[in-house]
Amino acid sequence: MPPALKAQGITKRFDAVVALSDGALTVERGEIHALLGANGCGKSTLCKIIAGTVLRDGGSVEVDGAPLEPKRPADAEAAGIALFYQELSLVPQLTVAENIFLGHEPRTRAGFIDRRTLEDDAGRLLGPFKVVAGSGLDLHMPVAHLAPDQRQIVEILKVLARRPRLIIFDEATAALDRRQVEFFFRMLRELKAQSIAMIFISHRLDEVFEICDRITVMRNGATVATYPAAETDVNRVVHAMVGAMTEHLHPPQVERPANEQPRLVVDRARGRRLRDVSLTLRPGEILGLGGLQGQGQSALLRGLFGADSLDSGRVNLDGASLRLRKPADAVHHGIAYVSGDRGRDAALHGRSIFENIAAASFIRERRFLVWPSRLAERFRQAAAALNTKYVGLEAPIGSLSGGNQQKIFIARWLATRPAVLLLDDPTKGIDLAAKADFFDLVQHLAAEGTSILFYSSEDAELLGLCNRILVFNGGTIAAELSGSTMTALHLTRAAYGDAA
Amino acid sequence: MARIKTLLAEPLVLASIAILILLAGGELLSPGFARGDQVTRLLTVSAILGIVAAGQSLVVIGGREGIDLSVGVLISLGAFTAGNVMDGVNGAILPAVLAAGGVTFAIGIVNGLGVTLLRIPPLVMTLGMMGVVQGGLVVLSRGAPSGNAAPMLMGFVNQPLLLGFPGILFVWALIAFVMWFLLRRTSFGYAVYAMGSNERAAALTGMPTSLLRTILYGLSGLFAGLTGVCVIGYTGNSFISVGDQYVLPSIIAVVIGGVSLAGGSGNYFGVVLGAIALTLLQSVLTTLQLEFWGRQIIFGAVLLGLMLLYGRQKQLRI
Repeated sequence: MPPALKAQGITKRFDAVVALSDGALTVERGEIHALLGANGCGKSTLCKIIAGTVLRDGGSVEVDGAPLEPKRPADAEAAGIALFYQELSLVPQLTVAENIFLGHEPRTRAGFIDRRTLEDDAGRLLGPFKVVAGSGLDLHMPVAHLAPDQRQIVEILKVLARRPRLIIFDEATAALDRRQVEFFFRMLRELKAQSIAMIFISHRLDEVFEICDRITVMRNGATVATYPAAETDVNRVVHAMVGAMTEHLHPPQVERPANEQPRLVVDRARGRRLRDVSLTLRPGEILGLGGLQGQGQSALLRGLFGADSLDSGRVNLDGASLRLRKPADAVHHGIAYVSGDRGRDAALHGRSIFENIAAASFIRERRFLVWPSRLAERFRQAAAALNTKYVGLEAPIGSLSGGNQQKIFIARWLATRPAVLLLDDPTKGIDLAAKADFFDLVQHLAAEGTSILFYSSEDAELLGLCNRILVFNGGTIAAELSGSTMTALHLTRAAYGDAA
Repeated sequence: MARIKTLLAEPLVLASIAILILLAGGELLSPGFARGDQVTRLLTVSAILGIVAAGQSLVVIGGREGIDLSVGVLISLGAFTAGNVMDGVNGAILPAVLAAGGVTFAIGIVNGLGVTLLRIPPLVMTLGMMGVVQGGLVVLSRGAPSGNAAPMLMGFVNQPLLLGFPGILFVWALIAFVMWFLLRRTSFGYAVYAMGSNERAAALTGMPTSLLRTILYGLSGLFAGLTGVCVIGYTGNSFISVGDQYVLPSIIAVVIGGVSLAGGSGNYFGVVLGAIALTLLQSVLTTLQLEFWGRQIIFGAVLLGLMLLYGRQKQLRI
């Protein structure tokens, strides 16, 4: 019997960036198969290729022995591949049955929705889950009235209604508490009994070992190993994820005296995605925020900038307590924030480069009158510090490439001479040359005494640039790395939580 | 050919060409149309439209679907307030101007608070305010015309003051300078463009976007109130619907002037040309003895036509 999924030699480039050099994955029927790897290893890209949302450059995919050449997501869906979304796809006003068949409702001959067949089919799908679901789940009930656990069942039934052979669960348990996870796993075992193949992606290694039959590890765009879960352990898997240690890629930084007054002290900051985060940042220090994406790193940076409010906790700058209710409070104290999501958070579309740089300076200097010719020289210097390539300050921002635009948004803050620079995954989607210029600048700024909090979704950037790294997990700091522990192995271990 | 096409799509060029064509067309239809005193007259009428359009353009540039539909009733309210405060007395002109401007500025601020604090869409907020003020005016005036312009105000609007131009044209020139200065030489202006272009990004540089937007609606109210003073100076007395006819033109003038309804672009000089072009069009249509409804149809069609033209441009630029 051919495997449910067999992907071999998958390659994919995005412009100059190689996302996948040799992706491979084989999943048997009725198997729950974990796909693991550090940030940026290519596991998301591989899944997107299998699901047809990204087209592959090379390699082959077979589903039940038949070659799959998806041109669009619908092609992969027709071949029986389904993606599971966590609490995203349900329409609260529609009933359970209607949600299950949303978008492919059974039709009568006249073309109307065949309600009877719809409800019969929904009932049949629900059957095997009756035991798990309990009695409360009524097919005629609007989804808005359901408990979170019951919504999960509907999400699963919705996927099952398309009669999939393979379901991809990407961080499906990330938002669940322990009890919900157990409930979820009971459903997965039920699917396993129905011979459905499953790819399970999770950053909780303990869960992986609990539910999965086999584990495939990816690193730097290639599949490196597949283990039966029962014959391996957490340590071996983490080593496979990290590979041969790649130490500092960038020159190490100048050490500063340890007895210096701290620049920024955060004491037990709490917020919507933060739980008791405390840290100390010294002048001229580059402090990395590591861990998997969405573990509270951005929430902390935005909180320190006054863009998202912190519920409690204290923030001290140079010994004085700060009240950060809005970004202007932070800007006036010399705190700058650079977002990686340029288009949404930074770009003043359709306006000139001059205006795009000037925006923050006006606030920082409480300037009311504006004489462009007097500011231009300072802005040119700020842009030059990053080797920005542009025609003139009057050119529209849209005339620049993505990397050069990001340089302008950094120059915007350089012009304010910030004491603290908050970098929120700033190199997202910019080319390698621009990244190199950016790293040079960050090191230069630190040498001049600027304190930098640097979150990056790429571990190599953190390891190469930072003096210390705080690893985030679930909204709190799980580990602090410095000196000899500043290695990819320690970073990955800490990011994947207690199990490692 | 392609260059001519891009040039034609440039709002300032288009507005200037429209002005020349309309002047020539008016002169052909009715000799004397483009005579000096007639042109002065046209400019006077343009000034009234141009002042209310100044406020409208600020609100539109500020973005987030910015628009002020209450300018019509605020013109009426400004005219009513000014007329009743001065009541024909020259010495009361200054208090009249302050009263009219103060009341309409305050109402504009309320519009702004509704848009920013309560997050009511500007279209709905200002439309609602229009209803409220309209009703209030009926109660206050009991439906009858009331208030009189002081003779000096009427002279200022209608009689030559300097070099054959009436005073209102100098006021308009001053307003144009103030608008340029505000938008291009103060951080307030830069923040307005930034906010209109990308409010989230503007807020993330520390700009107080809600405060700015509230002030913009206040200024729109203020400009409408001043327009009301000019209107009562132009006609001598006021009736409660005197401002209604300015709502649509104030928006069209802004669009002709090259201010994108999406916000974040354009300047007041374009709007000045837009006000002149639109007044000329109105005048030519009157010369053609077109009824009121006919002019409304043509105005609406011009607005929609421009949206089509500039809307396409905008898509191409992105």
